[in-house]
Amino acid sequence: MLKINNLKAKIDNKLILNGLNLNIKSGEIHAIMGPNGSGKSTLANVLSGKKGYKISGSVLYEDKDLFKLDIEERAQKGLFLAFQYPLEIPGVNTSNFLKTSLNAIRKSNGKKQLDALEFLKVVKSKAAALKIDEKILNRQLNVGFSGGEKKKNEILQMSLHEPKMAILDETDSGLDIDALKIVADGVNTLRDKKRSFLIITHYQRLLDYIKPDFVHVLMKGKIAKTGCSELANELEKVGYENI
Amino acid sequence: MIDNLKSTFENFNKNITTKNTISKIRQDNFDKFLSSGFPNKKLEDWKFSDFKKIISQNFKNLKINLKDKKKFSFDNHIKEFTHNKIFFLNGFYNKHSFKYEDDKKIIFSNLKNGPAYEPKGNNSLNLLNNAFFTDGLLLYVKKGYKCKKPLVVYNIFEGNNKNNFFNQKLIVNIEENSELNILVYTINLNSNPIFLNTSNFFLLEKNSLLKLFYLNELSKKDLNYNFTETKILENANFENFILSYSSSFFKNEINCDLKEKYSSGFINGAIFAKKNQHHEIKTKVNHFGETTKSYQKIKSIVDKNSKTIFQGKIYVDQKAQKTNGYQLSKAILLDKESEFDSKPELEIYADDVKCSHGSTSGNLDENSIFYLMSRGLSEKQAKNILIKGFLSDAVETITNMEIRDYFLKKIEKNVNEYK
Repeated sequence: MLKINNLKAKIDNKLILNGLNLNIKSGEIHAIMGPNGSGKSTLANVLSGKKGYKISGSVLYEDKDLFKLDIEERAQKGLFLAFQYPLEIPGVNTSNFLKTSLNAIRKSNGKKQLDALEFLKVVKSKAAALKIDEKILNRQLNVGFSGGEKKKNEILQMSLHEPKMAILDETDSGLDIDALKIVADGVNTLRDKKRSFLIITHYQRLLDYIKPDFVHVLMKGKIAKTGCSELANELEKVGYENI
Repeated sequence: MIDNLKSTFENFNKNITTKNTISKIRQDNFDKFLSSGFPNKKLEDWKFSDFKKIISQNFKNLKINLKDKKKFSFDNHIKEFTHNKIFFLNGFYNKHSFKYEDDKKIIFSNLKNGPAYEPKGNNSLNLLNNAFFTDGLLLYVKKGYKCKKPLVVYNIFEGNNKNNFFNQKLIVNIEENSELNILVYTINLNSNPIFLNTSNFFLLEKNSLLKLFYLNELSKKDLNYNFTETKILENANFENFILSYSSSFFKNEINCDLKEKYSSGFINGAIFAKKNQHHEIKTKVNHFGETTKSYQKIKSIVDKNSKTIFQGKIYVDQKAQKTNGYQLSKAILLDKESEFDSKPELEIYADDVKCSHGSTSGNLDENSIFYLMSRGLSEKQAKNILIKGFLSDAVETITNMEIRDYFLKKIEKNVNEYK
């Protein structure tokens, strides 16, 4: 699904990713943990196409060069990034936006666009399944949302898009236990043999609910260690410094 | 241009009226106009809009037609909501339909045969309007009558006549305990550019309510100066919204006098200026009565060598204790060639007041664009969503839901069609 080979990324001449290698196969869940400033969010941003980075190395997404795709093309081809800090967009109705976004993706994949009623049915059932209050649909996109509501909104969008490859950038940060379960449910519901996840997190807590196939430790822009899900527990005990 | 205007006026004044008294007043206005000419940037109120330069760049001569064409067909009525209608065609009253109202409670006439308005003040475009106005609307909403449907004043310019200079007035008196919603909808179907100079006066008596909306669909070479003066008496409420996206030049000047206690004035607007447009909103809110309230929110998007201006002043008289005044203007500039000028002012002579003003300008937020694109939207779609969202925030202040939705739809269309 995603092959990252010797990825380096610089911003303002500062090297953040320094030769990162990672291979994610279909159906796998990978977790990336690491201290602050190790390059976790940069990795998520680079993969989803954020501008401003000087990049070398290669990333193959479904055996094609990811860097040849624009931001929206990546999304249309099934790459989804759940933001660490989802942006507040004043004056934009959440429901309308979700519909526009879903239809943009459906359109690019040659699927029929949903009309307002069809969409409402889909989004309401997805929200209900994730126990997300559908009231957020009538509010302005993320405006005045609590931290938890913003993250739930990201998970709702992920579940609408049904991506092939989802990247969750510290989606668990700042969440209470109920919200954490919603995030985990979002992932577990979508989990299947054709879909992959890259879960970036600071804490082992989320991984109690989502069992990853691999856990990687990112340090100084490189994968310093890879293990199975027990590695997360070990990290929790001994910290990053002792890895 | 001025010499030419003199002979135009002479002819015009001979033909428009048969009464000498009226003719004399028009002449006085014109003479006073001549002493100052078109406003230029040396005047504080026009420092960001050099109208003398703008008009001379756009027009060689100003011409006025006095043949009011009776027949016309206009199918482009607003279909989104039911409403009462008055039509003006090329500057003259044409027809009306007040079928939703009690015709004893809503009284109107046109201003074709007068009266005339004595020259007052130093606003030379108002003087010019007094000298040249061809027609207008004089409207009374009688005591205690709440109009059931909004009134749309269709101000239409059409036909390939060679006239390019139009002056009209709107004079409305909302009597005690009455209510009216008006949308002034100005449309130019003509290919020749026009200069439209409009002056509007509103008196809101005790406990009355007026919601006033301005929408222009003029062509990209048209100029419109739209002047509005409002006097608001005890516990009356004035709400105004300006949707400003067409015409080369559009300046709205609104003076709002909160004359008596508990009166309030809301002046909000959305401007989308692109491709060399020059749009301005200038407000002056005078708090004369105690416990009066005012609110202003103006949002602008500026692109491709355009210019938008907000000049807003809140004046609080020493008698106007417990005043609450708020003013905010925000602009987003889409390119380096565009300009936004803002001059917020507070002048306060009372001590127990709450007044604030703010003004910001900036670019579209790159992170927001990235966020929207990461959800599958193209850059253009993402930017359009942000532009619409930014302007909608001002439109949301409209409390008439039908007109609010109609304006949102207009913005949606205007932004989506913009290349």
